[in-house]
Amino acid sequence: MFDQAKTDDPPIDHGRLLDVLARADVARLMALAETLLPLLGAVEVVQSRTGLVMLPMRDTVQGTDFHLGEVLVAEAHLRAMGGEGYGMIVGRDLEHAMAMAVVDAAIACLGQTPTISAFLQSQVAAQAAADTARLQAIEATRVDMETF
Amino acid sequence: MAYVATRGGARAIDQAERLYRAELGQIDASRVDAVRRALPMLIDRVMGEASLYEPDLAALALAQAGGDLYEAVLLLRAWRTTQPRLAIAEPVRQEQLITHRRISAAFKDIPGGQILGPTLDYAHRLLATDVLQGRPFTPAPVTPAATAAPAYQPSLAAWQKAQGLVADPLRADVAPDAIPDLTREPLLFPAKRAHTLQSLARADTGGMLTLGYAAMRGYGNAHPTVNELRLAEAEVRVTHPRGTVFSAGRVKVSQAEVTSKGKSGQLSLGFCATLGWNEVKVISGATLDLNAAAAPKGSPVEEEFFLYHTEPVEASGFCIHFKLPHYVTFQSSLDALRGAKASAAPQSEQVPS
Repeated sequence: MFDQAKTDDPPIDHGRLLDVLARADVARLMALAETLLPLLGAVEVVQSRTGLVMLPMRDTVQGTDFHLGEVLVAEAHLRAMGGEGYGMIVGRDLEHAMAMAVVDAAIACLGQTPTISAFLQSQVAAQAAADTARLQAIEATRVDMETF
Repeated sequence: MAYVATRGGARAIDQAERLYRAELGQIDASRVDAVRRALPMLIDRVMGEASLYEPDLAALALAQAGGDLYEAVLLLRAWRTTQPRLAIAEPVRQEQLITHRRISAAFKDIPGGQILGPTLDYAHRLLATDVLQGRPFTPAPVTPAATAAPAYQPSLAAWQKAQGLVADPLRADVAPDAIPDLTREPLLFPAKRAHTLQSLARADTGGMLTLGYAAMRGYGNAHPTVNELRLAEAEVRVTHPRGTVFSAGRVKVSQAEVTSKGKSGQLSLGFCATLGWNEVKVISGATLDLNAAAAPKGSPVEEEFFLYHTEPVEASGFCIHFKLPHYVTFQSSLDALRGAKASAAPQSEQVPS
């Protein structure tokens, strides 16, 4: 289903892979989760819900941390094979959060299998390409001010 | 003020709501989607004032309120209370913002350079009336640069502090759950800085512009120049049950610093930030923050004045509550008027001609 990972691809650290899963293409992530679920055996869903995350910000003038506002998130938490999986994404897509949790649990229990690794690598590349395209458009607006 | 319960009119009330909603017609997912796609600036404004980041819900609130901003903000704030708070994210820091626009009106050559980003600042404001004649307006695509802009830009304020141009007050780290939170505690004066900035972040854009503009025109004590204005995306960094910190996604944020020459021989800075991209709001808010120090009591730039009067739900709610039955209070006023008139009238009975 996915391109096979190159054997020399190093495993992605936990924080980075969670970043990638939270931002992953939802349809492809769910497809991957479907293939992984049978490998996890019985799954206990601890949590599947929407809720709020308060987002603080640091004032640049006095360095004061203050609450900027709340962000709606979807959260999923599950246990399987003695391990646990967790997903939290900005928005209200519970299926995205659950698919993230399934993949996280699979990585915790099975490691970054070639299928998972290939998925992660493809998403890293896609997300980097999207960021680069946006930043190239932004760079086109760089201005050098001259005063007369 | 005295209130009294009233009865009656249930049918009229029901029909009045129906009449209002009939004007809006059926609201379905496609309408909400169209609102979200077509009006991103309005969505951002509503999310900022509602203090809730969720573009789909903001679009739904706008569709349901027929574009009435105060109703939309009220709907979102009310809905927000149905949701549990799951976590407090790591504080967003300026140097970690994925920056789409960053300009300074005070310094031409800022570290990292000036990036206009998405803006109409230098565009002609011409109404595209051809659209109404059946000729769609199709924007010209951006010609991307060969290289990508850096995702992160340095902090101008940090550079200014390093140069001794602005004060660099000592700061103490505060645990996320110890950050003062207006949604769970009252706003008291003199306000904590965290309360001030949170209150500005969720304040009414129009109200802030009005008061900020008053300060800009001279009813304040400091004229602002934009030190730095940023439109950016912030990562929402949360913690996995195993302790790993990760980004659950990105949200759009705006922030502005404005500056003026301070009395201490350094530059003074004012600051404001909000959810969503809303330049007028953060420039106005930063202007109010800049002017708040030593503001005279009752002036538009006094903290108590501008924080109380720019809270959109309280202000709009108080305004529109005057439409509701005030029969007891008004009757009392009438009684007082009649009493005063009777006591001032001649003792002999007068017959109107």
